[in-house]
Order: sequence, then structure tokens, then C-alpha cells
Amino acid sequence: MLWLEDVHVHRGGTHALRGIDLEARRGEIVAMIGANGAGKSTTLAAISGLLRCRHGRISFAPEKERIDITGMRAEKIVVAGISHCPEGRQIFGNLSVRENLMIGAFLRSDRQEIRKDLRAVHDLFPILLDRAAIPGNRLSGGEQMMLAIGRALMSRPKLLLLDEPSLGLAPRLVEQIFDILQRIRNEGTTVLLVEQNAAMALDLADRAYVLETGRIAFSGAGKVLARDSQVQRAYLGVGV
Amino acid sequence: MTGGYILEQVANGIILGSMYALIAIGFSLIYGIVRLINFAHGDIVTIGAFAMLASVAAIGAPFPVSILIVLAVGAGVGVLIERVAFRPMRGAPQVTGFIASLAVAIIIENVGIMTLSAQPRSFIVPAYLSAFIRLGSLQVRAIDLAIVLLAILLMIALAAFVRFTKVGMAMRATAENYQVARLMGINIDRMIMLAFAIGSALAAVAGLMWGSKYSQISPLMGLIPGLKAFVAAVIGGVGSISGAMLGGYVLGLAEVLFVGLLPPEYSGYRNVFVFSTLIVILLVMPNGLLGRSTDERA
Repeated sequence: MLWLEDVHVHRGGTHALRGIDLEARRGEIVAMIGANGAGKSTTLAAISGLLRCRHGRISFAPEKERIDITGMRAEKIVVAGISHCPEGRQIFGNLSVRENLMIGAFLRSDRQEIRKDLRAVHDLFPILLDRAAIPGNRLSGGEQMMLAIGRALMSRPKLLLLDEPSLGLAPRLVEQIFDILQRIRNEGTTVLLVEQNAAMALDLADRAYVLETGRIAFSGAGKVLARDSQVQRAYLGVGV
Repeated sequence: MTGGYILEQVANGIILGSMYALIAIGFSLIYGIVRLINFAHGDIVTIGAFAMLASVAAIGAPFPVSILIVLAVGAGVGVLIERVAFRPMRGAPQVTGFIASLAVAIIIENVGIMTLSAQPRSFIVPAYLSAFIRLGSLQVRAIDLAIVLLAILLMIALAAFVRFTKVGMAMRATAENYQVARLMGINIDRMIMLAFAIGSALAAVAGLMWGSKYSQISPLMGLIPGLKAFVAAVIGGVGSISGAMLGGYVLGLAEVLFVGLLPPEYSGYRNVFVFSTLIVILLVMPNGLLGRSTDERA
């Protein structure tokens, strides 16, 4: 449902993406792994319209029809059905937990359905209901991550872009978040996941891409990549 | 120095503070959303006062109707300035926007002097607003009371809008993190436009109040109130709306009480007191009374 073709992005004077080809199919969890600065977050920012492509094409098919979203304004891309949960959670600390969730549904006006989705998010993360009235910056790191994911789901996306959900979280929490990702996928949302924690990401993902300095170095089924000796040496810390 | 005299000074401080607060809100609102200190903001005060004069002179609008006209003119001019002067500079370093705002200020002031002459004009309020009203032991003019009540009404309306509406929530989100606000589907250009519209509408009404209170207006009348309202916004913590309100009243009261309570030979140092208040508060609380430290953004 998402295609990147030869995407080039310049960021702060550097040629950050040098021809990315990537695909996410409906119902998949696709992982992007790679070292810091390889271009993973930049790829997500290019998809969600925060950064402009210098060259190449990004297209998206929320339903059957495929639309070109290259150079589209960020808010139009949200309407099209892509929700980007940014790195470092970036919840609105001065807004209450409930407001954070409601702002995720900013472009929607179907009150009934919004309320339904709010209940669904509370089902996934019951703690967010208990904390509804307190400001976002008083949540713990794990709760903030849940809030960020919940907020991203409130736009009812067809495709969820998720940047480093494991960052700074205890292993038990990371496992919980990854379980939730599977639930989100099973409920029909395609997930494109950027992760430092390569082992867990490859284990979860149907398919994965390995980025190196703005290019795709390897790609394939998650389980296959996890056994690849080169990937193991470089990203999984095996056989060093 | 009697209790009645002090009470009178406090009342004057609150009247002045109401006007500072209304202007200061615009500084904070605009800074909160775009991180721009708009030095043309004081000139909106002037434009508001002249819009009032024009609406009364040209179409004979009754006072309450001309308040609405002034609000609309202020909002319109604010949006226009943003569109013409600041939007093309979006993404440029912060200092560029700052200089652009000085340019806008100089242009407005000089066009004003060329077309309207620098000569102050008298500004007459209807008789029912010049009448005196007795509040307990205090005697105030109806216009003074109207200024305070209108200012409070507008501030309550703004606070409710920002706190309880969806668009107000989007403004708060944008002020906090505009990149992530974009990811929520919020149109940043529209939020910026709205901040200019609201901030400028309030400044224009403050111009109307200023003219009504001091009975004369001129193309440069907005300079000093604009500068002092900027001080008020900084005292309150730039970017914080409630801070701007508080800062306006703190400054208004400080100014009037300094002048009123010190021996008369010091009254010429009025502005020294105002700016000393700023320096002292910033020394003690660098982010202002209600401010948080914020990131830079052009």
C-alpha cells in the first residue's frame, strides 16, 4: 500500500537519502533497521511530508486507488490515511492526556466514531484512561510512549509510521509495546516500524529493510534477515 | 496620603494595566506560535484608534458597533501583515523576522504621518461615557469602567477559546511543538494567521481604549504602549497568555503606583520605573513570572 521509488532527500546540507526503494504491503509489519544516521527517521519524515523529496516518488494506496503523495502537505497526508508517531514520543506536555488523544483526531468530525476510537485506545492502554486529566509531561516514559501511539491511532490511519518505540524503555515495556503493535496490525493497520533494537524488530516484522548511509543495504523477510550472517555481524551483535 | 488616594491610584493602575494586558497578549500569542517578536504590534494600537475615529466620523457608528468594527479591522490588518511581511520569511533565522517587523512598524508610522499628519487629533467619546460613576468611595469615569470590563470580558473569551475549543487546543499544541502539530494534521499557516488575527484585534481595541481615555490620537501613539506591553509580555513570560495578562496588570500598577506614591519631582522618571521593573523581574525570574524556557524557532 506504500511505495517509495528512488527517493532522495537532503537534510541540513547533507544528502541524507540516496535513492530509497521500499514497499509496505497491506496488513504487514515492515521494519527498517540500521545504524544512527542511516536515514531511517528521515525516510519516515519524507513519507509524512515533513521533509521534501529532492527526487523520486512516494505513492500510497489507502484503498484500491494509488495516489501520488510526493510533495503533498503534511496535513493532507494525514487525511489520506498515514499517521506518523515521531521519535522520542513528542507528546504535547502541556496538554492533558485526553487532549493529546483528541488532537490526534483533529481532522475528523465524526464524533461518534472518534468516541469509539477513543474507547479502543483505552482498551489497548487502560492506563491512559486513568491518567486522562493530567498533563502529558507528568507521565512516565512508558506511558508517554503509549500516549504517542494512541494519539497516532486516533486519526484512524491505514498506515502507521512508528519511530523507535523502544527508545529508553525497560525491556518488559518494550515487549508490551511490541505485543500491542501486533494487535494493531491484526486490527487492520499496516505498520512501518523504525527500530534500533534490530533483534526484536526482525522477530516481529514480516519484512525488513536494512539502511546504510541513505541506501537500502539488505531487504527481505524478517526471519530470513535475522539469520543472515552479514546482518547478524553488523546489527545483531552475533559472532563478533 | 489617604486611603482614598491610594485606592484611586490602584484603580488607575488597573485601567492602564487592562490596556497593557490586551496588547501584551498579542505579543505572547504570536511569539508562542511563530517565535516572532512583532515590533509592529504597537502600530496596530494606532490603527485601531484611527479605525474607531473613521467609523464614528464616516458612518456615524454608535460606540458599541464601532468596537466590533475596530476588532475586525485589527484582525484584518494583522492577517495582512503576516501574509505580506512575515510569511515570506518563514524558516529564516529569528532575527530576520524581527527586522521585518521593525520595517513594518516604520512603514505604518510613516504612511500614517504622510496621510494623516503627525498632528494629534481629538477623540471624543459619547457623553454617557464621560460621566462619572461612584463606586463606594471611589469615583471613576464611565469610560474607565468600560475599559476594564471590556478588557476582562475579552480576556475571559480568549481564555475560554484557547482552553475549551478544538481550534484553541490546536493552537496550544502548535505553540508547544509545531512539527508534531503538523503530524496531527494541523495547518500551521492557519494557526499563525489566527494568532495574528486575535492578537491584532485585541491590540486594536486597546488603541480604541487608549484614544477614549486620553482623548487624543496620533500616528505615533502606539509606540509607547506597544513598547510597554512588550515589557509586560516579557515580565509575564513571553509565550504565555496568562503571563501576558498578569504582566500587563503588574506593569500598569507598578507604573501608576511609582508615580503616584513617590514625591512629585520623580514623576518624570515614569518610564525609568517601568523598565527597572522589567530588569529586576528578569534578574530574579529569567523566564518571566509564568514563562517556561522555550526553544528558538524562526
